[in-house]
Amino acid sequence: MFHMGWFLSYTVQNWRDPWNGNGSDLWIEPELYIEAAKALERAGFDYMMFEDGSFIPDAFRGSMEYALSNASIAPKHDPLTLIAPIARETERIGLIATVTTSFYPPFLAARLASTLDTLSGGRFGINLVTAHNDRTAQNFGLEQHHEHDLRYEMADEWVRAATALWDGWERDALTLDEANGVFASADKVHYANFEGTYYRTRGPLNLPPSPQLRPVLCQAGGSQAGMTFGARHADTIIAQAGDVPTMKKFRETVRELAQEAGRDPDSVKILFLASFVLEDSDRAAQEKDAQMRAASEANIEANLAMLSFSSGIDFGKFDLDAPVPEIETNAARATTAHHLRNSEGRTLREIVSTRSTGAFNFVGSVPTVADQMSEVAAEVGGDGFLVQAPIIPRTVHRIADGLAPELRRRGLIRADYDYHTLRENLLAF
Amino acid sequence: MFHMGWFLSTGFGVYDWKGPWSGNIRADIGNPELFLETAAALERAGFDYMMLEDSSVLPDIYQGSYAHSLKNAVVRYDPLPLVSLIARHTEHIGVIATMATSFYPPFLAARLMSSLDHLTHGRVGVNLVTASPHAAAQNYGLDEHIEHDLRYAMADEWMQVVSRLWESWEPDALGTDENRTVYVDHTRVHPIHYEGRFHRSRGPLNTLPGPQRRPVVCQAGGSPAGRELAAEHADTIVSAVVGVEAMRAYREDISARMVAHGRDPHDVKVLFLVDPILAESNAEAQAIAQRRREAAASDVEGALAGMSYVSGLDFSQFDLDAPFPEVLSRTNGHQSTVADYQKAGEDKTLREVALTRSVKDSIPLVGTPASVADQMAEAMEYAGGDGFLIASAVTRRNVSAIADGLAPELRRRDLIRSSYDYGTFRENLLSF
Repeated sequence: MFHMGWFLSYTVQNWRDPWNGNGSDLWIEPELYIEAAKALERAGFDYMMFEDGSFIPDAFRGSMEYALSNASIAPKHDPLTLIAPIARETERIGLIATVTTSFYPPFLAARLASTLDTLSGGRFGINLVTAHNDRTAQNFGLEQHHEHDLRYEMADEWVRAATALWDGWERDALTLDEANGVFASADKVHYANFEGTYYRTRGPLNLPPSPQLRPVLCQAGGSQAGMTFGARHADTIIAQAGDVPTMKKFRETVRELAQEAGRDPDSVKILFLASFVLEDSDRAAQEKDAQMRAASEANIEANLAMLSFSSGIDFGKFDLDAPVPEIETNAARATTAHHLRNSEGRTLREIVSTRSTGAFNFVGSVPTVADQMSEVAAEVGGDGFLVQAPIIPRTVHRIADGLAPELRRRGLIRADYDYHTLRENLLAF
Repeated sequence: MFHMGWFLSTGFGVYDWKGPWSGNIRADIGNPELFLETAAALERAGFDYMMLEDSSVLPDIYQGSYAHSLKNAVVRYDPLPLVSLIARHTEHIGVIATMATSFYPPFLAARLMSSLDHLTHGRVGVNLVTASPHAAAQNYGLDEHIEHDLRYAMADEWMQVVSRLWESWEPDALGTDENRTVYVDHTRVHPIHYEGRFHRSRGPLNTLPGPQRRPVVCQAGGSPAGRELAAEHADTIVSAVVGVEAMRAYREDISARMVAHGRDPHDVKVLFLVDPILAESNAEAQAIAQRRREAAASDVEGALAGMSYVSGLDFSQFDLDAPFPEVLSRTNGHQSTVADYQKAGEDKTLREVALTRSVKDSIPLVGTPASVADQMAEAMEYAGGDGFLIASAVTRRNVSAIADGLAPELRRRDLIRSSYDYGTFRENLLSF
């Protein structure tokens, strides 16, 4: 058995997709995500994970034009505002939203997360990112962003501060003794008194403990510092690897790091980003995939923009037909490295003409893709997949109502949620 | 005509924990249902808004411990998620959530509010507080809180950055291009390059401009620094002054300050806090008021804990029956409220002040809906204010008494709105 999740953003959902409905503004309304959540809950998904970002990319050609005119990466709204409405209309699926440790004060985040965990009945998680772009740092008042490894050191301390706050109320602190008028017991509530190099917080939180006490922690960085951080703190890790050997190696490394950090490696569920081309027949799917690949490869502009986004470097200024220059980035290191892998001796045009989303691409009819997923999961050793696709109803239904039933019939994914909280369901197998 | 709002005095908290009409209160802890029902009832009644107060502190000044707070359910969930839920449950009423300018990074706040302005279809507001307790500052990593007037100077700058971020997209930046060539016209989106003494932000915001573009701004400070902040930035002000003379003086003071800032005094609505006691006869209402005074008189501890929280001074350290101590010079807390205590204590003991203080009633409103409606009309006539904020405990009984008893009486006299004429909160607020 493996776990399933969906990776999404609170943004325009592929504006130019012919099946996106009235996509220019429908993406703002919670209905779109609520409907998707219901479908994915029906399909037995563990969680939906909202990534996030706080800047408009302008590295590419030194302008916001590409991002804004194409609705790419921007606009992006705060996904934390969607969690309560989705939670209210679902019962079991987990809901994870991104919080930037570099700029969110730990007390503010711990309190909001605890509130959302209560409102969702214990189904909330936060995805911890350090943010990678100088523009984000500048929006929050810095000249430029902290150095890459330093921000992971800060993130590590941030988690410890937030955890000290979450641990401040014992599970049975609420006495609710109505006869004597005693709401909670003072000897079961404790100051955090956290004193770190970067963060300090006294505590306690001013709200009762939430069902999970500590919300689920999710993490996605693939750099050495990111993996170490994830292995130490995360309940679930999002990984990008385009092929089985890389997936396998990633999982082994994280599990070793978790063991070194004194954790049971089985308590960290690693979900690999996956994309799907599902059609009625294998042949139709392959044709569709070839079409999509050709369209993507022809769209050099989009690929240059994406590379500029992840690296923070303007790839519009390099000669397309010269070898790719040496890149040193303080931004998203692992993602940039992934895009530029095997770049030696190749021109920039060759590199950006090869589609690479970082997701493992499954192509075929429903039974074929189920076979492929089963094989990949067996080879890699678990733990599951995260669908990376815009929330377009037609796409959601292909996965939730086409693929998921097949996976369920084969006993590859859950038929039922055995628990109420996200963490318990995540650790159930 | 005047405006009505409801002031939720402990935000997304627990109300009237030991009260006789608080229902199955266990089931209401951390449960949005009570607040959704309240929002629907107030919308039916034609209220302009509900305002969710907030704080990041488990009060522990009184007796140097949070035991009293825990015993009495002084807890608060983060009110911001509640805004998204109320938005889906209602169509017209405004929803104001509190943010502490001293600790909320401006970009984070501007983006969150802009996102909520979309989700509410233009009905969100932000209540600016600077937060007063040292304990709040310590939760956010400071040794102690920033000095009172300095934090208002910071709040002023915070509001400037946030306003600039909201304005960083021109209203028509989002194209209506049917051919899907351009989603947003990037020439209509601008960095703000804000460089202040306390805050900096490059911008632009990465959200689409909301229906109001600039959410409604609410403020509640009674000190001169607080009034300045309100006069410069606010669309609505919560006032805790007591008595019609003080109400009138407050409204005049705000108007004068607004003129000095180049604003039209009509562009802010000053709402005064009240806690009406309604019953079927005036005598019955008076009897309820009397029982409440007696209950309050038996709870000196509750009064002292409240005063300790507001002032940041542990009132358990003073002799209850000695003359009221000198406290004003020792507080960094709510200046105007502590000044009120000091003034009330001029020839009284601490016990006397604790038992008579009333911080949430601008005027006592006791009687039948008809007589209370008369009292409200009269007070507004004299004070020149813009309306009232109900600060009663959020219990279903209180909400129903106001929404289904008092409001219809006010509506029949054309004292409050009978419908919402506009789509957005600010338009409705400024419509009279």
